[in-house]
Amino acid sequence: MRRLGVDTGGTFTDFVLLDDETGVVQVWKHLTTPEDPSIGILKGSAELLAQHGVRFSDVAQVVHGMTIGANVVIERKGARTALITTRGFRDTLHLGRQKRYDLYDLFIDKPTPLVPRYLVKEVSERIAYDGRILTPLDEGEVRVIVRDLLNEGVRSIAVCLLHAYANPVHERRIAEIIKEEAGDLAVSLSSEIAPLYREYERTSTTVINAYIMPAVRDYVDRLTHSLREEGLEGTVYLMQSSGGIGTAETMARQPVKAIESGPAAGVLMAIVYGRLAGERDVISFDMGGTTAKVSLIERGRPHVSDECEIDKIRLRPGSGLPVNVPTIDMIEIGAGGGSIAQIHLGIIKVGPESAGADPGPICYGFGGTRPTVTDADLVLGYLNPDYFLGGRMRLDVDGARRGIEESIASPLGLDAIRAAWGIHEIVTSNMAAATRAVSVERGRDPRDFSLVAFGGAGPIHATRLARMIGIRRVILPAAAGVASALGLLAADVKFELVRTSVARWEQGSLDLANELFRDLEEQGLALLRQSLARGDQLLLRSADMRYVGQGYQVNIPVPSGRLSTEHLAALRRAFDDTYATIYGYSDASATLEVVNWKVTAVSPQREISLPTFERAGRNLGDAAKTARPVYFPEAGGFVECAVYDRHHLFEGAAISGPAVVEERESTTLLLPGDVGTVDVYGNLIVTASMGG
Amino acid sequence: MAEIDPITLAVVWNSMINICEEMGYVLCRTAYSEAVREAQDMSTALFDPQGRLVAQGVYTPGHLGAMRFALGHALRAYPAETLRPGDGILLNDIAMGAGHLPDMFSFTPVFHQGRLVAFTGSSAHHIDVGGAAPGSQAVEGIVDTYQEGLRIIPVKYFENDRPVEQVFKFIEANVRVPEKVVGDIKAQMNANRIGGLRICALIEKYGLPTFNQCLEEMIRRSEAAMRASIREIPDGTYAFEDYLDDVGRNTDPVKVRVTVTIEGDEVAVDFTGSGPQTESGINCYINFTYAYALYSLRSLTDPTIPQNEGCFRPLKVVAPEGSFFNPRHPAPGGGRAIIANRIVDCIMSAMSQALPQRAIAACSHFSNATVGGLDPRTGRPFVYYDLLMGGFGARPVKDGIDGIASGFNTGNIPVEVYEINYPVLIERQEYIPDSAGAGKYRGGTGIRKDVRILTEKVRLTCLSDRQRFVPFGLFGGGPGALGATILNPGPNETRLHSKGVYPLLRGDVISFRVSGSGGWGHPSERDPQAVLRDVRDGLVSAEQARNVYGVAIDTSTWTVLAEETAALRAGVRTGGHSGRRGDGH
Repeated sequence: MRRLGVDTGGTFTDFVLLDDETGVVQVWKHLTTPEDPSIGILKGSAELLAQHGVRFSDVAQVVHGMTIGANVVIERKGARTALITTRGFRDTLHLGRQKRYDLYDLFIDKPTPLVPRYLVKEVSERIAYDGRILTPLDEGEVRVIVRDLLNEGVRSIAVCLLHAYANPVHERRIAEIIKEEAGDLAVSLSSEIAPLYREYERTSTTVINAYIMPAVRDYVDRLTHSLREEGLEGTVYLMQSSGGIGTAETMARQPVKAIESGPAAGVLMAIVYGRLAGERDVISFDMGGTTAKVSLIERGRPHVSDECEIDKIRLRPGSGLPVNVPTIDMIEIGAGGGSIAQIHLGIIKVGPESAGADPGPICYGFGGTRPTVTDADLVLGYLNPDYFLGGRMRLDVDGARRGIEESIASPLGLDAIRAAWGIHEIVTSNMAAATRAVSVERGRDPRDFSLVAFGGAGPIHATRLARMIGIRRVILPAAAGVASALGLLAADVKFELVRTSVARWEQGSLDLANELFRDLEEQGLALLRQSLARGDQLLLRSADMRYVGQGYQVNIPVPSGRLSTEHLAALRRAFDDTYATIYGYSDASATLEVVNWKVTAVSPQREISLPTFERAGRNLGDAAKTARPVYFPEAGGFVECAVYDRHHLFEGAAISGPAVVEERESTTLLLPGDVGTVDVYGNLIVTASMGG
Repeated sequence: MAEIDPITLAVVWNSMINICEEMGYVLCRTAYSEAVREAQDMSTALFDPQGRLVAQGVYTPGHLGAMRFALGHALRAYPAETLRPGDGILLNDIAMGAGHLPDMFSFTPVFHQGRLVAFTGSSAHHIDVGGAAPGSQAVEGIVDTYQEGLRIIPVKYFENDRPVEQVFKFIEANVRVPEKVVGDIKAQMNANRIGGLRICALIEKYGLPTFNQCLEEMIRRSEAAMRASIREIPDGTYAFEDYLDDVGRNTDPVKVRVTVTIEGDEVAVDFTGSGPQTESGINCYINFTYAYALYSLRSLTDPTIPQNEGCFRPLKVVAPEGSFFNPRHPAPGGGRAIIANRIVDCIMSAMSQALPQRAIAACSHFSNATVGGLDPRTGRPFVYYDLLMGGFGARPVKDGIDGIASGFNTGNIPVEVYEINYPVLIERQEYIPDSAGAGKYRGGTGIRKDVRILTEKVRLTCLSDRQRFVPFGLFGGGPGALGATILNPGPNETRLHSKGVYPLLRGDVISFRVSGSGGWGHPSERDPQAVLRDVRDGLVSAEQARNVYGVAIDTSTWTVLAEETAALRAGVRTGGHSGRRGDGH
């Protein structure tokens, strides 16, 4: 069986063609066509398939990671969208949670809402927190509203009523009326998209779904149609933010669940490479041009959280739009190759402002004047000015040094090298803080994990980051530049189902628990069927639990089968233990309650196996390039440093730091005392010496 | 000692701020009251062994500005050399803390290799600390702070990392909702403990001498930056006067007079001339006065300077003892939260004379009502604590913000969270049309929230203001609409007093109306398209557009009628909607 992974990024679309029988992987890149990404996808896929004599009809699955949903929100280019809500609560969306994300700045702004206030309509109805209907739905009113909205040219409607997670009947009836009045106008119900309590977050999520649905649906239809015209008979899947995949048809109805699909693919890729290197506990570290993303993987599985935030202002928490759908837990900070360094209060500050690709770092020579992380990395000798993007672009070392000199070194009374080192060290320490946040703050010790580093700037910073937080082993995947697309092919067909229903964890709740889990499992199986999942079907249960009176929960796995009295104590213990791991204490006397009941329905893909390297009788000298001076304060400053061409390394090759390993899309730094070996898949595994 | 390495300093400084954020995360995630876990009415901070503030989280200014004073009092009671690892000191005394009993402060010493290296601190608003009325924030009938609930002078409530049971028993017995209060003070200790672990890890890495040197340098640089930023403000004396509506039924307005003197790189904020201390639940203890004077100064200077001891040094706050802004113990102060925004409004307005392109118009007031009674679902007492925030005053370059907390910085509590946890039905929560102060840049809108009581016999404590004296505009901007508190809105509605305590019955509806905020610049200069947008959005009526903004709108096509608008504007240029201005000299 052949499968094609397609990952659309800002600049390039990456392709991976995998032959599951032989494990052979072929990669390709094509420029992204932003006006309609499906054009670039079609051309790139055709090129890749043609190179290897494969026809579209030979491809059983196309798995796609897309950015269109997030872009539509960030650029505010979505469909004209309306919101129907409970009478009296017209302003839930616009009011938000009201807290300021910046304490002293008088000039902050809220994000521009996706629905103008005049397209928010109230209907008479009311449901209580326990699902009782207090005021029946005024259906006549709904009809009038829908007709008005059609006259307003609305193309998509979000419906979010108070407590709809506890009883969806009014939302469903409104959907029926919309169908009667407006045919197949796009409708998004909060009870389907994000059935969790807290009305602002649920409304925001539902509105984002509605806002991007027409664009995503058109795009997915266009893509599927053109692939079919080329002869594709296999299924088209989309990556979800949770790290699972669903068929294009299923996801086009709930596109908000795929809004972070690109970053999720990167994490799955890290899982694959971790597994190949024999590690199931890894931290995924993806550093690109503007941001770095860090995510924790335990026992081969990413942590999935129920909330994320998109379109943040200066990446400040609380400044963006909340999206409460299952999302791989990830911290994103403004630390990338293009992050700008400046002086604030006499110290160096790096990011979140970024020079992006245009004008980019000073050394690109595109007119950038403010020093960036890439400029510092170049001045320190980490980057090779003649081999950036495999030599396609020459970097201006003198320009970078001058820029750092003027903006950073002179004002601080440092020399340019020391200033460049400062930029490098500070951006790395910012990433170390993010890494601690995904591990230490969740009760995990980062020293128990390996780091999988990728993205254009990741490998340069990975070994220092590892050393800073005490990680001993760094895995640098082969062809990391396109490897996210491979992550797509590692994704399972997976759906996360959730219901809020608050109940004490005691004997009297067991019937409710059994009933809720059975319901959720049926829904999950139906979704798997719709997604044409073959093979095994797993249903994984869990419960979000807390001490009665608290506001945030901890997710605890629940065994399958009928729950009975003995499970009460077992889960209680599991909760207390997990809670203590995270927060440092537990309270065995406090009453426990379940807030959300969850089922993950999974149809696992077969594990990807990659082709292995031939161990040729080569020696390391074949891979050596011209040595150059590189800055290692660990070794006292600039040292004449060996440089290797990664494309000429071979299985079993062993490199001792200090050393630089160059490849087309990135550069890896080995610190003094590090030992790097190339494994049978071509991955570079660096083991740090922790002596010093 | 050698000059500090700027790179190490940057790393340590960022780490200290991150630690405060992580402490906040832990406090919020392990807390029991909605006030803390949903609204984040709490704060976190780190101090050096002398008790100087070195870093803080992004939480509420009233706690943050007062916390160093609270730690000072804690250390007078328990000198640093007597403290041991695992101690937790708790206090809420009105004069030692943030000026009212519900705010509890918790401090923990941090030891590294047996040496005291820092203090971690956290604060939280507790939704009840006992006393005359549920919520402990009653205004009327309160003549001294002994009526306001449990007073905790510094006391060790954790020893050796274990709760001191007698202290907990004592607290449990004196508050209406013991599970929440006890849960939250334990959550405060959790936050402190995590902060201590992180500080030790930092010291392990950089060594104590470098760590200490970094703290000194952080304070020094924040101070230098504050002074540099103050130097950019023209020297002079700038004053403003406003009035709090009253301090209960049949009481007089309270004069708020602020005189700000800028002299080189120093600032004095003088409240002399303001009213005397009152015999009511509203007085503003000096720590709280200081906290909001500091907040105002911070937002008028470079807002990016990380807050620490250095930011306090250039600021002097003066208020005569025995006056409203510096009362003598045992004056009560439960309701002081509503004064916060007034201090900011007055300083802003005074400073608009010196910084016309920076100071903003008056903000909406803060309404902080509580309802207490028995929850029929559990048979136990409940305290419903609400935080109603309107918006930011209009700014010299753009509109105010609708529905963003000003001054005070907490979030709201979701309607669904209230209804799950309390016997109430919230019937609406919405912007009030035509409530924003008009202007070239308009203010933020007011907010209405209606709450129906679903149980017998509860007591409502109103805590609100700006029902007589408007949130003023600046430079020709109009005032925001006044607020109100209405019982059972409709034909038989009654107006409640902004600070009254009322018994209510099942089915009663309280309608809170928060004032709009002030506008900036003359409304006739407002972009007609912005007026059109507001009219279409239902935030401004077509009548107000015509009469106040001089913009005629065709509401069938949603277009501005250009000729008619020009004619109207020629007529309203002289219009009488300007807000009051400062009387600077």
